[in-house]
Amino acid sequence: MKIVTCLKHVPSSAVTPRIAGNRTGIEEEGLSYEVNEPDLYAIEEALYQRSVHGGSVTGITVGPARAKEALHVAYAKGVDQCIHCVDDKHRGTHPARNVRSIGQIVKKLDCDLILAGIQADDDLQGQFGIALAEFLALPAVTAVTEIRANPAQKTLTVVRELGAGFKEELEVDLPCVLTIQFGIRPLRYTPVMAIVRARSRKIESIDALALSPEGERADNLVRVVELSYPKDSGHCELIDGAAPDMARKLVHKLVEAGVL
Amino acid sequence: MSGADVVVVCEAGRGQTESANARLIAAGAELSGRWGGRLVCLLAGQGIAAKATELCGYADAVYLAEASLYEPYAPLAHLKAVQKLMDDVQPGAVLLGHTYIGMDLAPRLAAKLGVGVAGNCFGLSMEGDAVYFLRPMYRGRVQAKVALETRPYIATFQPGASELAPPDRTGKVTRLDAAPAEGQKVRPLRTIEPELTGIDITKAEIVVSGGRGIGTKDNYALVSDLAEALGGVAACSRPLVDMGWFGTHRQVGQSGNTVKPRLYVACGISGAIEHLHGMKESGIIVAINQDPGAPIFKVAHFGMVGDLNEIMPELIAEVRAARSSSDTK
Repeated sequence: MKIVTCLKHVPSSAVTPRIAGNRTGIEEEGLSYEVNEPDLYAIEEALYQRSVHGGSVTGITVGPARAKEALHVAYAKGVDQCIHCVDDKHRGTHPARNVRSIGQIVKKLDCDLILAGIQADDDLQGQFGIALAEFLALPAVTAVTEIRANPAQKTLTVVRELGAGFKEELEVDLPCVLTIQFGIRPLRYTPVMAIVRARSRKIESIDALALSPEGERADNLVRVVELSYPKDSGHCELIDGAAPDMARKLVHKLVEAGVL
Repeated sequence: MSGADVVVVCEAGRGQTESANARLIAAGAELSGRWGGRLVCLLAGQGIAAKATELCGYADAVYLAEASLYEPYAPLAHLKAVQKLMDDVQPGAVLLGHTYIGMDLAPRLAAKLGVGVAGNCFGLSMEGDAVYFLRPMYRGRVQAKVALETRPYIATFQPGASELAPPDRTGKVTRLDAAPAEGQKVRPLRTIEPELTGIDITKAEIVVSGGRGIGTKDNYALVSDLAEALGGVAACSRPLVDMGWFGTHRQVGQSGNTVKPRLYVACGISGAIEHLHGMKESGIIVAINQDPGAPIFKVAHFGMVGDLNEIMPELIAEVRAARSSSDTK
C-alpha cells in the first residue's frame, strides 16, 4: 500500500507561547517546536500497515524552514520518503492553504491511504483531515482507533471512537483519508541519534507559493481577532509547604468545605 | 425569517453525546434571540422520539430524523439530514457539539457550503452586530476570539455536565424523511458498546484520578489508595487507557466518562482540554502536579505544585487519620 502521512510542526505542548504585540499571533522566536503528537500516532500506524501489507510511507509537512525537523523525526521512525512544502509566508498556520498545498502534492502521488492525526495541538480545530478529503473528493473517517486493510478488495475496515466508550465499525473504500486517534498503538521510542542521522536524508522541497499563488480567492474564513491567556477561574488556592504540611492543610480545607 | 434562525444539531441515542446539548441550546437561544429568529433543533438517530419531545421545551421547532440508517453514526446520511433542514430553514448559523459526531460533521458541512468553522468553542460573544466565537489554542494555554468571515456561521461547542435550564418554549416535532446517501464509500457496519464492567464512575461522589504523571502502573496504587481512603472511586485520564492499564470505564474525558462528583482529585494530570470536558464541573477540584503551568490549575479549587510521590502518601495518611478520628467522635 502506498501511504501518505501528514505531519504538522507545532509549538511544544509543554510551554505557553508568548502572544505577539499585534495580539493575533504568537511569538515564534525562542519557542521550541515538535511534531504534533496525534501525527506521531498516524506515522506509527502508517509504518505498521506497511509492515503488514508492504508498500511505502511518505511524510509531508507544510511549514517554514524549521518544519523539516518534523520530517527528520519521520525519517528516524522509518518513513521512506519526505516532502517539505516550504511556507515562509504563513508558516504552516493557514488552514485552507495547508489543505490546498498538501492536496496538490498528494494528487500527484497516486496513493492508497492518507493519514493525519485527529487534530493539531496548536489550532485544536480537528478539521484538516476532512477538509483534505473534500479537496481530493475522497471518503474520510475520523478518530480511527483500528485499521484492518483489505488491499485486494480496495477497502478498509476501521473502528472509530464515538465517545463515552462507544465505538463504531465501518467499511471504507480506498483511496481514503483517515484521521488517527491517540493511542491507536504504542508510540515506539525514537533514539535521538536516529533523528540526528536523519538530518542528512534527502527531503524533497516544494514552494507553497508556487503551488498556490497569493491572490487566489481570499480564503481565511476564520479570522483571529484577539489572543489572550485564559483567566484563572480565580478560585485556585495554591497550598504550599513541605508535603506533610500541604496534606494537612488540604484535609483541613476539605473538612471545612464539607466534602470530607 | 431566513438568516435569523439558528439550527442546533443535538445528539441523543446510542453512541451519541447528549452532554453537549445544554450548551448548544443556550448558545443557539442567545444568537437566535439577538437576531430575532427561531431556535430550531435537529436530532438524527434511532429511538430518540422521547428526546425530541423533551427538546420541544427548549426550541421553537424540533426536526426529527429517526431511522435505523442513522445508527451507528453515518456521516453522509447525517450530513444529508442537516443539508435538507438547511434548505428549508436557511439559517444564519448551524451549531453542533464538539463531540466525535460534531467534529466529523461540521467540517463536512462547511466544505459543502464553502464556509469556515469555529471549532471547539467554549463561548460566544456578541458585541454590537458582531458575533465572536471563543475557542482554545495551543493545548488550551492560549485562547482566541475569532470571527467567521462567511455565512451561515458553523461552530462546534464543547460539551459539559450542565443540565438544561427549565423549559421555556413550546416547539413542535416535525419528522424529516430519512434519505440514505447514494453510492456511499463510507459504510457503517455496527456500533460497538463499551464493555459492561459494573463500574460506573459517573455515580461516585468522590473521584481520584491519575494521569501520565503517575509514571508506572505500580505507582497507580497511590491513586487507588487515596480513593479508598476518601471513600471514592479511582479513575484515570486517557494516556493510562492508551497504555493499556485500564479500560474506558475508568476514563474521565471526552472519549470516556463525564463526571460531576463533589470532589475530584487530579493526580499527575496536566489538564488537556479533552480531559477537562469530562470533569470541569465537579464541585471541588484538587490538582497535584509538578508543573505550575499545567492547565489543570486553571480549573482547580485547590492546587499543590510538587512531586505527587511525596505529596500523595502524606495525603493518604492525613485523610485516614481525619476519617478515623471523626469515626471515633
